[in-house]
Amino acid sequence: MKKFVSESWLVLTMGVVFACLLAATQTSLSGRIVENQQRALNQAILEVVPGLERTEELVIGGNRVFKCADAAGELLGWAVEASGAGFVDKITLVAGLSADGERITGVKVIDNLETPGLGNKIEGPWAAQWRDRDATRSFSVTKATPTVDQNEISAITGATYSSVYVANIVNDVITRIRPLLAEYR
Amino acid sequence: MADENGSNLRQFREGILDNNPVLVQLLGMCPVLAVTNSLENALVMGAAATFVVVMSNLITSLLRHLIKPHVRILIFTLTIATFVTIADMALKAYMFEVSKKLGAFVPLIIVNCMIICRAEVVAIKNGVGRSLADAFGIGIGFTVALAILGVIRELMGSGTLTLPWGAQSWVLFQLSEGFEPHKWIVMVLPPGAFLTLGVVVGITNQIRARRKQGGAA
Amino acid sequence: MSIGALIGIFLGVALVNNLVLAGFLGICPFLGVSRKVDMAFGMGCAVTFVITVSGVVTWLIVHGLLAPIGSAIFGPEHAGALFFLKYVAFIMVIASMVQLVEMYLRKFFPPLYTAFGVFLPLITTNCAILGTCLYIDMKPETQYLLNAAVYAFGGGIGFTLAITIMAGIREHIRFSDVPKAFQGAGITLLVAGILALAFSGFAGIGK
Repeated sequence: MKKFVSESWLVLTMGVVFACLLAATQTSLSGRIVENQQRALNQAILEVVPGLERTEELVIGGNRVFKCADAAGELLGWAVEASGAGFVDKITLVAGLSADGERITGVKVIDNLETPGLGNKIEGPWAAQWRDRDATRSFSVTKATPTVDQNEISAITGATYSSVYVANIVNDVITRIRPLLAEYR
Repeated sequence: MADENGSNLRQFREGILDNNPVLVQLLGMCPVLAVTNSLENALVMGAAATFVVVMSNLITSLLRHLIKPHVRILIFTLTIATFVTIADMALKAYMFEVSKKLGAFVPLIIVNCMIICRAEVVAIKNGVGRSLADAFGIGIGFTVALAILGVIRELMGSGTLTLPWGAQSWVLFQLSEGFEPHKWIVMVLPPGAFLTLGVVVGITNQIRARRKQGGAA
Repeated sequence: MSIGALIGIFLGVALVNNLVLAGFLGICPFLGVSRKVDMAFGMGCAVTFVITVSGVVTWLIVHGLLAPIGSAIFGPEHAGALFFLKYVAFIMVIASMVQLVEMYLRKFFPPLYTAFGVFLPLITTNCAILGTCLYIDMKPETQYLLNAAVYAFGGGIGFTLAITIMAGIREHIRFSDVPKAFQGAGITLLVAGILALAFSGFAGIGK
């Protein structure tokens, strides 16, 4: 026992000191870290459901859904946080749905690790084509010129996969989450 | 005293040039390939690694008379893991976007061979002054190597040069729209990383061989 | 959690997102030990063993130790309270596993032990192992133990594949005329670049 202590007292002491140091750093920084993680989400919600003043966070079907209301308390729309597999890694996005759930008001990708310069573009102006689309049918991605009544989305040149994965996530929201929204209205 | 300072300075310089951890010793390769797809990522990774190696060398050097041989690797590892955790938390708090892009490579600094190597070779045997000079030299050498690769890959692959600046990245330089179809996307992808590093290492070896010849002649 | 999903995870990490050629992990041994095929394959096997065991053990530590204790002390919403100890815990586990492998080899396979030499303890600094443990912790598809184990094993197999292929190529390159400045690391990296290009053809398989 004595030999054990004489060999390892330094390691154990350092272990304890370092653990305290880490705990202290964690406590002082965790607030900022959580805030950072929230910021992207909050900005995205504002973008996909314009004009909102208040949100109420719910969990529907395992996803975080934000019920968005205007200043008067009228239901403006829904912002659904959804994620799924991407080409490189997970893609997280916020999909905005109209109050009646019939239309997609917008899609904003908030987290992705897709190829820089290619798949990365799903975070940019490409997403504008998701504004005001039909949410009652699934979306498909095409390399040709998309037609609105086929519910098609144009793929990013050179990043078809990333575009498809975004559509997959949105389709999942439409098929799985959208029907459940009615009871929370 | 003057002599010791002289050799501290030489230790520092060696870390950057003759003993560059990436281009000469070929250590710490994994982050080199992974985070050099943009200058911003390269610089932040370099800074984080420098922080860890400096703290690791500092603590090891301060405690060098207390560290028994059997447990030294354990102690080095414990120290490095702690400071990497701190660096990771700091990045997530103050440079969130970059920390997401660096991903798992910040915690992977723990197994960056160059850091534990400095502790084993320099810090455990030398005073604080020498250990710090060594740590800063190695850290800066690492950052310089990363930056060289970062500039090459980002310019050719994305046509931009970005610098880390608080929460957002600062685009220092962006080649015109006309460059867009000419950019070599492969440079920011894995194959480009390997090829760029291979070429840079080859060129470094050539330069060193010439200098040796020049010195001998 | 079908067999299909598990096969997808396995192939995903062994081929599509090969740890070495796409994920930039395990580069140091990849450059250092890939000179001869038998050494490379042996290293690959040792690494596969350590990765699989470490992956499983670190998963257990996070889900079975840190999370429950965090919940117990701070309440269920703060299950992640003790997660700042993750990195320290991970590296300790890996170091211990390598130590165990070392002792085991020294006792039961001495010739193998001497053949490995200094490369055996260096497995601890193989970023492929720590990297895999970190990814298992981060990815949503490995939140189940079985998925994590398959992922870890697949990672090891992918590493073995990459390092063995590279060794095969390097054995041939020995007879080629490589410019002096590029001998060793330079040409290896260039070859790795071409290999990475080849492996990127696997993209999209799992999906």
